[in-house]
Formats: sequence, C-alpha cells, structure tokens
Amino acid sequence: MHASYTSRRMFLAFPTFVLLLSFATGAAAPKYLTVTPLPDLLLVLHVAIFLYGLSVGAFGFLGRQYQERATGYRNYLVTQPSLLPMSFKRTFLGMYARDAIFYLLLILLPMTAGLFLSIPFSHFRATSILLLFGAAMISFLAGMSLSFFMSTLYVRSVPAFVAAAGVVAGLFAAYAVARVIPANALLPGLAVQLSVPPVAPLGADALANAAAGIALILVFVAGAVALVSDQYEPKNAYAGDELPGIERRLARFRTYRTLLAKELLDLKRSGTPVKMFFSFVTPLVFLAFTVWFVRYGLELPIGFNTVFYAAMVGFFGVSLYNWLNNVDNADYMATLPLTVPHVIRVKLLAYLLLTMGISAAFVVAISLMNGDARLLWIALPVMFVTGLYSVVMTAYLTGLRTNSFLFDPGVLFAFSAMSMLPDVGLAVLSFTIDAAPVFAIAGIALTLGALGLGTLILYRGIDRKWARAAFGD
Amino acid sequence: MAAVEVVDLTKLYGSKPALRDVSLAVETGEFFGLFGPNGAGKTTLLKILTGQLAPTGGGARVLGIDVVADPMAVKAAVGIVPEVESPPSYLTSYEYLYFVSRVRKVPDAEARIARWLTFFDLEDMRRTICKDLSKGTRQKLMLAAAFLHEPKLLLLDEPFINLDPIYQRKVKDYLEEYTDGGGTVFMCSHLLEIAEKLCDQVGILHEGQLIANGRLAEVRGPEPDLEAAFLKLVGGAG
Repeated sequence: MHASYTSRRMFLAFPTFVLLLSFATGAAAPKYLTVTPLPDLLLVLHVAIFLYGLSVGAFGFLGRQYQERATGYRNYLVTQPSLLPMSFKRTFLGMYARDAIFYLLLILLPMTAGLFLSIPFSHFRATSILLLFGAAMISFLAGMSLSFFMSTLYVRSVPAFVAAAGVVAGLFAAYAVARVIPANALLPGLAVQLSVPPVAPLGADALANAAAGIALILVFVAGAVALVSDQYEPKNAYAGDELPGIERRLARFRTYRTLLAKELLDLKRSGTPVKMFFSFVTPLVFLAFTVWFVRYGLELPIGFNTVFYAAMVGFFGVSLYNWLNNVDNADYMATLPLTVPHVIRVKLLAYLLLTMGISAAFVVAISLMNGDARLLWIALPVMFVTGLYSVVMTAYLTGLRTNSFLFDPGVLFAFSAMSMLPDVGLAVLSFTIDAAPVFAIAGIALTLGALGLGTLILYRGIDRKWARAAFGD
Repeated sequence: MAAVEVVDLTKLYGSKPALRDVSLAVETGEFFGLFGPNGAGKTTLLKILTGQLAPTGGGARVLGIDVVADPMAVKAAVGIVPEVESPPSYLTSYEYLYFVSRVRKVPDAEARIARWLTFFDLEDMRRTICKDLSKGTRQKLMLAAAFLHEPKLLLLDEPFINLDPIYQRKVKDYLEEYTDGGGTVFMCSHLLEIAEKLCDQVGILHEGQLIANGRLAEVRGPEPDLEAAFLKLVGGAG
C-alpha cells in the first residue's frame, strides 16, 4: 500500500533523495566538525531518529478505528482478522515488522549508503558508518516500539496511558531540565553509539549497551502485543442533530458554512483534536529541545527569540492540515455537486479557525516565559503569515491527499524547498534583531510580503491545479 | 430529447482500454439497464456520465449537458448512487440527508428528509452515526440521498445490493412510479432477474465494448430469459 501512494519510479526516488541528502551532509562533515563536537551531533541525530520512530509507530490506535470506519474503496490489513483465521495480535506484530522493514529500506539504508559514498570527502571509516547504522536502527526501533506500546496502552486504559506518559515525560525532563540522567541512559541507540568508534574503542560496553537496547525494544513490543485486543467490540455511537445548529452559527462563511460545519463536527466526533494536539506539540517539544541544547549544551551564542519561535510555529501547523484530510474518506462527495478545490478551501478555513488562536497563544506564552514580549508586535504577524503560507502551499501541492502526496519525492522536494527556504531566512533574520534591528525588521517585512504574495498566487492556483481531481482514490 | 447520449466513448487506464467506442442513447422516461461481467467497464461508464472521470475519447451528454465541459452541472441535475455505499462516517442519518439537502439547495428540505427517512424506515436510526450503520442501511441512506432532490435522471450503480427483499420491492416500486412520472433511470447491475422486470432498454457491455443494445425483447431474442441471452452473448453459457 505504501508503494501504491505514488508511481514505482517516483517511490524509488524517495530513498535516492535521502541518499543524496546524506551524501551532502557527510561530505560537508569536515567543515562543521571543526565547530561542533561529534558527540553533540550524534546526540541530535539520535534524538531526531528516536522521535521519527515515535511518530510512525502509533498504529495501536488503529484497531477499532479501521474496523469501524467506512473506508469506501480502501481496505486495510488490520481488518483482516475479522474475516480470516488470523489474530489481531499476530497482525499487529506483522504491521510492526512490515513498518520496521519499510523505514529501514526507505530511510536508514539510503542514509547509510549516502555516508558510504561521502567517504572520499568525509574520510569516515566504513566500520564507523556500519556502527552508526546499527545504533541508529536501535534508536529508531526504540522510538517505534515505545510508540506502539503507548498506543496499545491508550486503547486499553486511558488512565494507564496518562500515567505511563507521565513517567516517560518525567524521565526526559530529568535529563533535559534537572540534568540528573544522561541522554544515553534514555536513548539506547545513543548509548551504543557513544560506546563504539570513533567515540570510544569497541569493547564489552558496546555489546552490553546493544543487548540492553534490543532487550528494551523487545519488552516494548511484547508489552504492546500483549495489550492488543483480539476482539474489537463495535461501539454504536448516537448523536443529536447538531449539524444544523453548527451551520447556523457559521452563517458568516456563506457558501462554505455547510461543509465547514460538517468538518468541525467530524473532528469533534472522531476524537481527532487529541491526535492533532500531539502532532502539533511533538515538533514544538523537539524544537524546544534543540534550542535548549544549542543554548546550554553547545553554549553557542545564538539569540533565539519570540520571532524565531513564531516562524517555527507557523510552519509546524502543516501537520494539522494533514490531519484534517485524514478524518474521513471523501468518496461520497463524488455524488454531489462539489469540487475538490471547494473542499480544499473548507479545510483551509477549518485549519485557520482551529489553529490560529492556539498558535498565537503559544507564541504569547513563550514570549512571556522568555521575558521577550517586546517582540510580539512582529512575532505575531510572522506567525500568522508563515502559518497561512505553509498551509496554502501544502494544500496547493497535495490537495486532499497530503499524506499520500508527501511520499512522492517530487512533491516532497517542492514542499521542502518552499517551506525550508523562507523558514531558514526568517530564522536567520530573527537572530539579528538585536544586533541590526533595522536590517532585520526590513528583511522580515520583505520576507512576509513575499510569503503573502506567494500565498495569494498559490491559493488562486488551487482552482487550476485541482479542478479536475477526483474525490477518493 | 435523449436523457443520456453517449457517442464513441473511449476510456484508457494507462494503455489498458476500459471502454472502446461505446455509443448509446437513453430516451427520457425510460429505464435503462447496463449489464456485463465484472470488469466490463460499467462503473467506468457511470463515472464518466456523472462527471467523476474524464473520457479518453468521444463524448457524452446527460440531460443535454456535456459531461466533460460541465461536470458540476451534471452532478447538480442528477441523482447518483455509487458502487460502494460510503456515507460520511461521523454524521447521523438525519444529518447526512440534511447535509445533502443543503449542498443541493433542496427546497422544503425537512419534509423531504422526513419522507425518505419514513420510506426507508430509518427514523429509529436517525441519530446513529453512519459508520455504525449496517451495509444495507447505508445503502438505503445513499438511495435516499440520491432521491432527495427529485432529479429528472437517476444514475444508479448496483442500487439493490445489500437491500433485503422488502426494500428491494419498495425501491423497485418507487423506480417504476418514477419512470411512469417521466423520470429516467440508468442502472448498472448484475441482478438480471430484477432488471428484466424493470428495464425498457438494456445494454450489455463486455470487455469495454457494447455488444448488445436495444429493447429488452430484442436483446433477449429467442432465449427464454435475459440471463440466458446474457450468458450466450458474453460466452459464459455451458
């Protein structure tokens, strides 16, 4: 199914993209290793890989949802135990193995191959690269297994999930805030990495750390499989006639009000806002960690301020647009006088209604926490414009199938270029606000103007690009 | 005027032909049944007629509207029941019909919704969200949604599928009344027995080609029933 998201050729291009990126990063290593110590870079790499594993392993949530959901033309492996003599436990274990292999082939192997190709420039040892691959695999599987375990725990017991999430958050806070636990005690892949060359000579420590990491992964997977239910009882849901009332309250949105009301009702009844919240907060946590690490770990004199956070918050909102497209299938819309661009505009409105207030509150809160409220007058416009630009750009590139199209390397490349370039520009300008305020503010204003114009062009382009697109698959 | 007019219609999926030079016409007030083995191209043809797919060659007009030039006008004018019953998961039965009535700007919507909820005996389930409905009930809801705005043409893909015999009978009776009142039905189905009782005109599609098209008696020919004629035409007899 992953391969069916796009053409075979384009699908194979994704690992090629990873390989080239990894090659470029490896080839440039002699430059940046002179200013940043290798263990610090390895820490950031393993945190990123662990969080990536965490973000792709939450399929424990899916059991009842896919079982119950009217999926139109689609069907899922996870529903097959209802039809075939298979158990849900075995199916979920199969899904775990399938995804582990999928991401190994899609990302970790091309990443390693890229590093190998960079050897003439980076002068990395082949054995070090192989050891990095092994350690990265442990970090990735640790994240994926923890996510698998937590999601199955959530399905069984929300209080137990909250307690376990509290323990995990506490452990990470003990590292990041109290600094009483070292990072390698929490990230088994990092522990392996720091006990092998080129950081340390290969010895018994490496074996012990690898064994501990693998054991931890097995414990999480075994726990998750034990928690998977072999029976998903259908839960019939009843509801009042809420749609007309919500629609009336949205009267000001005129031709969009009916679909917008349905969109908001879908979100409420599907429980998606909780997932949206976590997918919004996870990158913010990673950002906060990176900022903390740069400030206190690397002790680099970079002035992270409210404007920087505002730009990041604006760009992170993209994941919420993706969630809006995953609440329900849209096959039935093909029977109605509706077009894909019209529905895209409804999703954009829903996005604006749902996120702008929360994003603004986050930016205000972080400015108050950092004693940096003086920059709110520029931070809030930065957040609004980048948020609007990012979501319109994503809608233009991916329509109603964001998740599928972002597997297409061509779309992913355009998405990366169109989001990263202005993002990096705004970040760099934000760092110079205190040193050269006139230059920085003029640069930010110019960037926001360009993004505003880009938003307008892309918004108008949605009609042209998606007018003939079909709903569903 | 023909309610449906198809001229030399061709559809390729990649290099694989799904429809090859299909031409047919369905007059206003007729009940047309399109039959064919699995994969013959019936759903593809219906999707082209409802503006969901663009043809590779040829053209089609529905109620005088060019399906390629103005697919939205086609969707606004006709009632559509798709191959797979998939109403929105998180709306209740009532809310789905309300939603359809608002999108289609149906006048007197509450009375019409009440009529169809009663017709399909859905009042007890008006507050059940669609994902929790049985397949048969979802199919009833899709039919109600297609009938709600009283279109002049119904384009139905397997409308009787998942319905119990009571509701098959009710829907048959309604469709007969509908065509008697001047409405036109274009139906794709595998249920030849039902079709034989309802259709004025039938077409048989096989491997993307229309191999038979005409009045029911013409297509049946000397065979005892439509099933025998169908099996003979598509080479499935004996």
